[in-house]
Amino acid sequence: MPEEETMSDTNREIHELLVDYAGALRDGCIPSFLKSLTREEAERIASSWEFWDATEVSRILNGVGFADKAVTTNVSLFISHVDAKIASRKKLKASPNGKRSARARSVTKRENRT
Amino acid sequence: MNKRLRNALKGLTAPDVERRRRAMEPFVRATFGIFIKYLYRYLGNEVECEDVLEDVYADIWENPERLRNITNEKQLLMTVYLYYMRKRLREVYRRINRNLYLSQRNLKELIAPEIGALEMVSRSELQQILGQALSKLKARERRAIELWMEGASNRSIANELKTTVGAVKMLEYRTMLKLRKMLRYYYRED
Repeated sequence: MPEEETMSDTNREIHELLVDYAGALRDGCIPSFLKSLTREEAERIASSWEFWDATEVSRILNGVGFADKAVTTNVSLFISHVDAKIASRKKLKASPNGKRSARARSVTKRENRT
Repeated sequence: MNKRLRNALKGLTAPDVERRRRAMEPFVRATFGIFIKYLYRYLGNEVECEDVLEDVYADIWENPERLRNITNEKQLLMTVYLYYMRKRLREVYRRINRNLYLSQRNLKELIAPEIGALEMVSRSELQQILGQALSKLKARERRAIELWMEGASNRSIANELKTTVGAVKMLEYRTMLKLRKMLRYYYRED
């Protein structure tokens, strides 16, 4: 029997890939979906305009159906996180050569030792 | 755009760093709900949405130039998505990209796509448009999408429709393509 006849295609069809993508988007596990793709499935996705069209709809459905889940009750806590992030960026901005000066210090230390 | 948001935007684009920082709180309060709901379309995960948004707001504070001439909420959302959110969305997936078979271009397109007309419509408008489109579908197609939107698994949709999981997947796929055609037509009409 020729080899091709014994090998079955275990890759997902384009409609299965779309449904799995939409499910991953709905359930918040897109990275798992991306990691699950085989080389053949990735090629299938790349060459299917229907897949790309359908992903737009799945995003819309996600926005309409599930976006309410994303509303955090504690906006104040979120604001404090943003404030902390801004403060750390401000600090980083204030010392742009922080790494360089640390390296320079260690060089002087080494020089002093020798 | 309401007065509070307008004032916050004014403060955000001020040259004084401290004023910009003070303006951040009212800005976040006025926009958090809009931004997180929008971002949820792409991530589907509230924790990830909050992480991305923290960076988005910090980026806005650091470089608010793009928000200088914003006149309405729609324009604000479009600008924030194009110039701040997309960059961060792509970064979320950059770290896993090495192990993926998808090309960088396809990955970008999948997680942070170019903006389409439908992407910028408000949620209430979108609900209305989608409701109209759903009403034009066959009963079986509509039921499958409705169940899916309620969070049902393909197995339970198959049980409800008395069919196989494979048939449900095909039905969902075809219905999404049908919806896409209907929605595109709707926008052309507009």
